[in-house]
Amino acid sequence: MTLTIGYVWRRIRASLFGASRDEVDQELSYHIARQTEVNVAAGMTEKEARRQALIAFGGIEKTRERCHEERHAAPLESLLRDVRYAIRGLRRAPGFAIAAVLTFAVGIGATTAVFSVVDRILFRSLPYRDASRLVSVGIVAPIEPQEFMLGYSYYEWQDHQTPFEMLTSWTGSNNCDLTEGNAWRLTCASVEANFLPAFGVGPLLGRNFSSEEDRPNAPKVAMISYQLWRSRYGNDPSVVGKTISLDGTPVRIIGVLNKDFELPTLDNADVLMPEAIDPASQRGANPGRVRWAFARLKPGVSIGQAEAAMQPLFQQMLMTVPPQFRKEVHLRVRSLRDRQVHDAKLAAWILLAAVGLVLMIAYANVGSLLLARSASRQREFAIRRALGAGKARLVRQITTESLVLAVIGSAAGCLIAAALLRIFQAAAPLGVPYLEKAHLDLRVVTFAVIASLLCGILFGMVPILPKPDVETIASRSAIGAPHGRVRQLLVVAQIAVSLVLLAGASLLLRSLWNLQKQSLGMSTKGLVTASLSLGELHYSKAEQQMAFFQLLEARLRKLPGAGAVIVSDSLPPGGWHHDHIYAAIRIEGKPLPAEGTGGTVAWRWVTPEYFRALSIPILQGRGFSEGDRDSSDHFMIISRSLAQYMFQDEEPIGRRVQPGLEGPWYTIVGVAADVKNGGLTGLDEPEYYRLRRDRPEDWGPDASVTVATSIAPGAMERWIRSEVAAIDPTVPVVTETMSQRVSKLADRPRFEAALLGLFATIGVLLAAMGIYGVIAFLVTQRTPEIGVRMAMGATKFDILELMGVQGLRMIAAGMFVGLSIAVVGSRALSGLLFGVRPNDPLSFASVCLLLAILAGLATWVPACRAMKVEPSRALRHE
Amino acid sequence: MSTLQGRGADWDMPPQSTELLQGTLDLLILKTLVLEPMHGWGIAQRIQQVSQELLQVGQGSLYPALHRLEAKGWIRSEWAPSENNRRAKFYSLTRLGRKQLESEMENWKRISGAIALVLEGQR
Repeated sequence: MTLTIGYVWRRIRASLFGASRDEVDQELSYHIARQTEVNVAAGMTEKEARRQALIAFGGIEKTRERCHEERHAAPLESLLRDVRYAIRGLRRAPGFAIAAVLTFAVGIGATTAVFSVVDRILFRSLPYRDASRLVSVGIVAPIEPQEFMLGYSYYEWQDHQTPFEMLTSWTGSNNCDLTEGNAWRLTCASVEANFLPAFGVGPLLGRNFSSEEDRPNAPKVAMISYQLWRSRYGNDPSVVGKTISLDGTPVRIIGVLNKDFELPTLDNADVLMPEAIDPASQRGANPGRVRWAFARLKPGVSIGQAEAAMQPLFQQMLMTVPPQFRKEVHLRVRSLRDRQVHDAKLAAWILLAAVGLVLMIAYANVGSLLLARSASRQREFAIRRALGAGKARLVRQITTESLVLAVIGSAAGCLIAAALLRIFQAAAPLGVPYLEKAHLDLRVVTFAVIASLLCGILFGMVPILPKPDVETIASRSAIGAPHGRVRQLLVVAQIAVSLVLLAGASLLLRSLWNLQKQSLGMSTKGLVTASLSLGELHYSKAEQQMAFFQLLEARLRKLPGAGAVIVSDSLPPGGWHHDHIYAAIRIEGKPLPAEGTGGTVAWRWVTPEYFRALSIPILQGRGFSEGDRDSSDHFMIISRSLAQYMFQDEEPIGRRVQPGLEGPWYTIVGVAADVKNGGLTGLDEPEYYRLRRDRPEDWGPDASVTVATSIAPGAMERWIRSEVAAIDPTVPVVTETMSQRVSKLADRPRFEAALLGLFATIGVLLAAMGIYGVIAFLVTQRTPEIGVRMAMGATKFDILELMGVQGLRMIAAGMFVGLSIAVVGSRALSGLLFGVRPNDPLSFASVCLLLAILAGLATWVPACRAMKVEPSRALRHE
Repeated sequence: MSTLQGRGADWDMPPQSTELLQGTLDLLILKTLVLEPMHGWGIAQRIQQVSQELLQVGQGSLYPALHRLEAKGWIRSEWAPSENNRRAKFYSLTRLGRKQLESEMENWKRISGAIALVLEGQR
């Protein structure tokens, strides 16, 4: 009998319209009546005859129940029975059960955890209406990795664009202080009035901005985030309409945003305010304000079509761009999701692929285990089929067994997944989008469990598929030869896949090593940094800002253990710093470059001790001196690469330059060695340093204060915080050591390498388990043969060779296949690698060696057992 | 083979022995119904007779088996007057049941042959 639809239908029909209880009763009473008749004929009294008939029949009620059960299939009970039986069977083979459950658990756990993270990055639904139609629009230029817009062309585009239903933008966020009661430092974002409508989101309370409110000089209004509403206003709905004070200006709250609201760039914002920019003033201005534009595609318009439709407007804009820019500026329209995940996408896909490979290895392992088990149960199944157990019955039993394994494995897997997710969240760097919001994904768990189940059923079925034959039943020991080949293929595949994983992991590890070993051009030891940002309310004037930082500098110098103290506006090797195009520097006595931007140049405001504290050597000329701070002249130090670029072989010292093509001229007093300034992986830019003199024009509200110290950094951090608080307790300050700062830059690659390394380790261990299992099984199976061979004079070495060669053959085949895949596949990693080529021979060689040793060991151990077989015992093995 | 009796009580025994009996009983029922439609009582009597009283079919397993086979679509039932003019439930083979019987019999022959081989070979 097969499990056909017809069968299922008949079963349902039987249970719905089958014999009623009465009918069964009638049928049974007919039987008793007939028995009574027979008994009467045999000479009993009527009463006695009936009594005897009832006795002979046995429990009527029980029979009645069972008739019903047969009809109604009693699905739950029979399932429970099967489950009980399966558990009993598994308890008889604890080694198998534990190995299978563990493999399932690790496979499911790792897959689910990683997918739960990656899913948020690649596939999560964005909290906007019809989010698939949302795109990010703008121009790409070397100065900024993400596309942006400039005011004057933005309004042109808004007027004349055709592919979008709506085009909107925001101009970024800035610090703002809630200046009432206890001052709160907030982040205020400026958006156009049509910003929320374009994304199809409305406020939780109140209303959106009107276009009148988005005009210059309009009364100030704001929408506040749900989080701010909850933490500051205790979810009080009457806050709408209330006037609050932001940076000392009265602002009326007109709405509260939804709980799940987020800016399309994923930036943080506590308050949304209208930009209140006059378009007319922007059209005249060149280049106008930088903004980030987003649009909703008209229905049916693809991103490609939209980009094509925007080309004419872009070309028109290009005409107004200075000629040296033109070649380096491009139009970009891409989906909002691509904009959000930006560079996390490649890493996400690679992690997903890696975890898929781990899952494959895990399933291959379970498959291999099940095949081994089924080989030893072949005779059991053959006999049971022979004795009348239907195929369907056995299928059901195997299914149940796989189900039990998969359920236990999945339960353990979920625990592992939850733990792994915690670890990811704790270990992951900032900037992995959405990670803190990731949670175990039910769909993935379901998928993994179903896949486990199918895997179990597929491989579990093998022994019952062939018709039982005489030899199978008659053979005295388990024979598993027919499936041996499948298992060997599985092992080859496992070795191949784990080699691919290992190769990827080793490339990332080498890349990470290179990242951390590279010379930064500066010292990171014994440096504590503090970033400060002065509020608009009390520090709106540059004089106030300068006074604050000069006071702080003086106080910090007096701290015990404090060496050099720097107040700069940014710090290498990564993070924000000023930059502009090279062509925007006028050099005295030289014409401006006719064409091309010359790339970008980084620059910072620094105080004199900058070079000494960071151990940046001055190669030519001199460093800044304290005396320079009083001067009315402007001084500059340039990096070696900038000197090379500007002056080639000419003498740079004493030359004068005008950065930004306007404002004061600076005198170059020295040339410093190059320092990394594009993060650990980014391209380094030529750099120059402007001296911060004791004049307000050199100061701003934000600064990084760095103190060189010989004492414990923790203590110095505390002191710095208390010095800042002593001057003004409302100024927020974040402290960390320079080493932490630098180390953070490598967080992302470290995270990637650690994850891939983890997967590779799991994969290799599983593969080793697989090969060990196969060889051990072969040894057990061939023990009598080994006994015979030894009795006939084979040496122990011959036996080792006999068993070992098989293992080595699998290893060699697997490594060959794996290496071929890895050489091709590793190219996908190239975007994540630093200082190592995707087909790095050293990585591949070491990975092969490692895998060969592990796999060899997994062969050696069981093969050695074969060697120790006692011939006399082996012959009696059966 | 007299263990066919009293099967109703051994629900918790490992399914191996349950199935052995169930499968065999099913086969016997199907075979008995080849000749003519029959009611439960008649089937039990017939099996007993034909096997020269060696096989006693317990009612505790006969009726559930009949219901099972009917649910599987191998036999069908109808109420009809019986020999003693009382209405009884008569079972007859369906086309599916006939096919099933053929394959089961073939199977049985092969297996019993195999078992015989084992038993003799084991000596």
